[in-house]
Amino acid sequence: MLAPYLPIVLLFGLAFAFAFFSVAIAPFTGPRRYNKAKLEFYECGIEPTPQPQGPNRFPIKYFLTAMLFIVFDIEIIFLYPYAVANKALGLFGLVEIVIFIVTVFVAYAYVWRRGGLDWD
Amino acid sequence: MSHLLLAETAPIHAPSVAYSSLSPIFIVLGAALVGVLVEALVPRAERYAVQMVVTIGGLTAALVAVGLLHNTAETTVAGALAVDGAGLFIQGSVLVLSVMSVLLIAERSVDVGSAIVASAAVVVGSPTDRRLARTDRVQTEVFPLLLFAVAGMLIFPISNNLLLMFVALEVLSLPLYLMAGLSRRRRLLSQEAALKYFLLGAFASAFFLYGLALLYGYANSVDLPAILNASKASPKSDVLLYVGLALLLVGLLFKAGIAPFHSWTPDVYQGSPTPVTAFMSSCTKIAAFGAIMRVLYVGFNATAWNWRPIVWAVAIASMAVGGIFGLTQTDLKRVLAYSSIAHAGFILVGLVALDKDGIASVLFYVLTYGFSTMAAFGVLMLVRDADGEATHLAQWSGLARKSPFVAAVMTVLLLSMAGIPLTSGFIAKFYVFKAAFHVAAPLVVIALIFSAVAAFYYLRIVVLMFFAEPPENGPTIAIPGWSTAVALTFGMVVTVVLGIFPQPILDLAAKAATLVG
Amino acid sequence: MSAVLAASHAADVLPASSQNAHVLLASSQNVAGFGNQPLWIVLIKVLGVFVFLVVMTLFAIVFERKVVGRMQNRIGPNRVGPWGTLQSLADGMKLAFKEEVIPLLADKPVYFLAPILSAVPAFLAFSVIPFGPEVSIFGHRTPLQLTDLPVGVLVVFACSSLGVYGVVLSGWASGSTYPLLGSLRAAAQMISYEVAMGLSMVAVFLFSGTMSTSGIVAAQQHTWYVIPLFVSFAIYAISVVGETNRAPFDLAEAESELVGGFHTEYSSFKFAMFFLAEYINMVTVSALATTLFLGGWHAPWGVHAIWSGANSGWFPVIWFVVKIVAIIFVFVWLRGTLPRLRYDQFMHLGWKVLIPINLVWILAVTTIHVLRDRGWPAWKATAIPLALVLLLVVVPALMMLEGAAARRAADRDDEDEADARLTPTFPTPPMDLVVPSPKRLTTASVHPPTSAIAEGEDPDG
Repeated sequence: MLAPYLPIVLLFGLAFAFAFFSVAIAPFTGPRRYNKAKLEFYECGIEPTPQPQGPNRFPIKYFLTAMLFIVFDIEIIFLYPYAVANKALGLFGLVEIVIFIVTVFVAYAYVWRRGGLDWD
Repeated sequence: MSHLLLAETAPIHAPSVAYSSLSPIFIVLGAALVGVLVEALVPRAERYAVQMVVTIGGLTAALVAVGLLHNTAETTVAGALAVDGAGLFIQGSVLVLSVMSVLLIAERSVDVGSAIVASAAVVVGSPTDRRLARTDRVQTEVFPLLLFAVAGMLIFPISNNLLLMFVALEVLSLPLYLMAGLSRRRRLLSQEAALKYFLLGAFASAFFLYGLALLYGYANSVDLPAILNASKASPKSDVLLYVGLALLLVGLLFKAGIAPFHSWTPDVYQGSPTPVTAFMSSCTKIAAFGAIMRVLYVGFNATAWNWRPIVWAVAIASMAVGGIFGLTQTDLKRVLAYSSIAHAGFILVGLVALDKDGIASVLFYVLTYGFSTMAAFGVLMLVRDADGEATHLAQWSGLARKSPFVAAVMTVLLLSMAGIPLTSGFIAKFYVFKAAFHVAAPLVVIALIFSAVAAFYYLRIVVLMFFAEPPENGPTIAIPGWSTAVALTFGMVVTVVLGIFPQPILDLAAKAATLVG
Repeated sequence: MSAVLAASHAADVLPASSQNAHVLLASSQNVAGFGNQPLWIVLIKVLGVFVFLVVMTLFAIVFERKVVGRMQNRIGPNRVGPWGTLQSLADGMKLAFKEEVIPLLADKPVYFLAPILSAVPAFLAFSVIPFGPEVSIFGHRTPLQLTDLPVGVLVVFACSSLGVYGVVLSGWASGSTYPLLGSLRAAAQMISYEVAMGLSMVAVFLFSGTMSTSGIVAAQQHTWYVIPLFVSFAIYAISVVGETNRAPFDLAEAESELVGGFHTEYSSFKFAMFFLAEYINMVTVSALATTLFLGGWHAPWGVHAIWSGANSGWFPVIWFVVKIVAIIFVFVWLRGTLPRLRYDQFMHLGWKVLIPINLVWILAVTTIHVLRDRGWPAWKATAIPLALVLLLVVVPALMMLEGAAARRAADRDDEDEADARLTPTFPTPPMDLVVPSPKRLTTASVHPPTSAIAEGEDPDG
């Protein structure tokens, strides 16, 4: 039953070995010329702005996007099995999926109206 | 192995759904969706009124539907939902009490706006927060949230399928977590309550899910009747069954606020807006007991000898914690929280009976307790000082001199909770103890002792109200608006009437005491 | 492999009848032909896919530079190798010998891991893409596809989701402003467009009745899905451009704003990994578009009619690669033509245009499909749902949007009014305050009284 996954595991092994080897070998193949300024982070030559450390590094707005993503990703997760099984489920499935999509639409309308989809 | 695979590859059949039997759920969910649309489309000024109409209309329609269904006894959606007497009784109780809590939430005259915050997401103490606190804006999302929670509570006690029960558990819990954080006054306390409730609730849900997985491992099904059959016939080791049941019960006992899984109750009851506390302490408790009853009676009927000691233990623990810790509290909301823990213990005593009388007595108990606690929290909303509700016990001393009427109402409700005759609480306790006596006489005796202990702190409050000196700048009694007045009167009348003429409702409960499995 | 082992193991334990059932069931779990490939074939295929992807990357880079060059009236790279074809290989080799700079403030382990996390899923996504029909490799008949699962497309989907981690972590670990901004944008953009991309595939599964890639290709033997499902295809095409961070949606590495975006602080081979991942992703989404909408490895119409062998043996690989290259050309064309979108416009497009269109489209397609299954005549089954959708969803939605904007403005006015009504928390000067002019200026001015009046008076009287 798991046999079809074996090739994926092998490809993963190969790809990982390749990527890891490339990344790990880079310090040895390239030259090393120490320069303090080079190790500063890059901000087009101006005095770098200090970074917020810890959990505040990501503005809260992006978490909202992530949450919206989860809502719609879950919707997709429900739509896929329905799409595959739609012949077996017939009219019952159609009614249910229409109700489901309409329900998500209601949430979507709410988010939109409340400015959850404004990025300016 | 091979029959497992068979189950996976079996062709899919559309289940038959008895839409009419489930109509109360559909009505409430539909009203909730309309509520969300109202939030999205109706201008802010009119939202409050529209939401009220939608919410109360939806809940009433659902109640009517439950009434029309009263003779139904069937399973539907491939056996996942059982619409039967007990389930419908619980649904009806939840709906009546949720209408009352909506009426309490709708109270706008005792506080600026209402008991619900203007905007929950604003940082506490920020200029915007202070500005909004003075406006009469309200986070009207509380109404759809309540409807979603009610929909979960309608599904929860009729699920014969544990997976569906879990979904219902989440549907009823998630809105409650949010609603706990919506208090207009003492924002930080409210937010803390919401966070605590959420974290602990998530824990409990995880326990429930883990127990479900183990039971699936045992019975190869998540349907309660299938689990029952497996436990009757199976020569397999019962470890999975009992560990699974124990974990499942952790999740359910948490929702019902039963010791030793009660630790969230006082904090959450205290921090939440009072009408929401009223909603949680009545409706959530009823739904949770409906679910516990169904799990134990439908799924684990045959193994009762093994789980009864556990129920004994948690019932005693709950009565002890509620009775003893309740004595040390100085905040009235916390006192009521501990009282609810103690009452949960008493209800569990009825569950031990495992027969029709047991079911009927539990149904009656949850209903009467729901009305009393709902009305008690409603009274709490009226006693106020400059900071909002005056919930400290000291502030209640001598209340009878200021308002004999409010003090009298509170006294009746407290006496009902204490189980003094001529109140509904007495009848409820009497029938629960009577039902349990023939199987668990020692437990009933213990319960009687703890009733006496708990009665002490109810009476302490009564004494305080009537015979103590009022404090210097004591609280004022707000004049309730029409909605609170209606809810309070109703709760009060039911408490008294069921204490004097309980027979019709007792008959109804006895008639409803069937579980279809 | 393991199924074979399991089956032979089961033979010892189970009676014959249930053993048969077991084998039968095990095969129905897997897509035919992928349950028991010999290990050596699998190894050859794994190597083949890997080499194909690396070569396609090298090719795509040169191809892009050449095409963009032509579009801009240049000739593009033409020094290394014949017609400059080895340019990208030379660039890649050069990167290996560049100094690696790790900024002092970087979070070292994550900084190290991010490029790997970015590159590996890019390779993995290709494992379920069908290159061609069943062929003979050293006498062994096997489908020209690494593997397939009943949920094949989900593998691609999962890998593209995993790729986001590489991008986010690279920006986070760099400890620097531009990469952080770039990675945030990239993450928001990738997950936003993943929704649209995922929804656009639903209609395909509806038509094919399966999520296995080989099944989808087989179902397109007669009609490519791009014909009946053009809306889905268009949405897919738009969203994958966002998903792969390509122009005009390359906000994550907008060089005019963020220098290099999330990989600003990366150099040497680590940078090469990001570069590689980006181009492999481009190849993957092109291959997926081919598989889902453009008939997979099937020959274009006409070719099959003239030459019956076009869809058998190794030839379909040609059609497959030609289709991929054609799509990559479109990617390049977009880059050469369109200016970059602003961030809010871009998110607006994803969330407020693509998703609703998608959902309505899915509703319509599902209804049509089910009604036709139930024996309705085709025109009726098509016209009625479309009309209903138009009437019940699109028109009210448009009206509602209009109204919503107006109401929203009204809400804002309400709030402003409420603000105005409240007593201000800081002292404000009265509206008609006359500022006394300094003495020195008053004495210096020629007509002090008239100027004072002019300031105090309304010009209209």
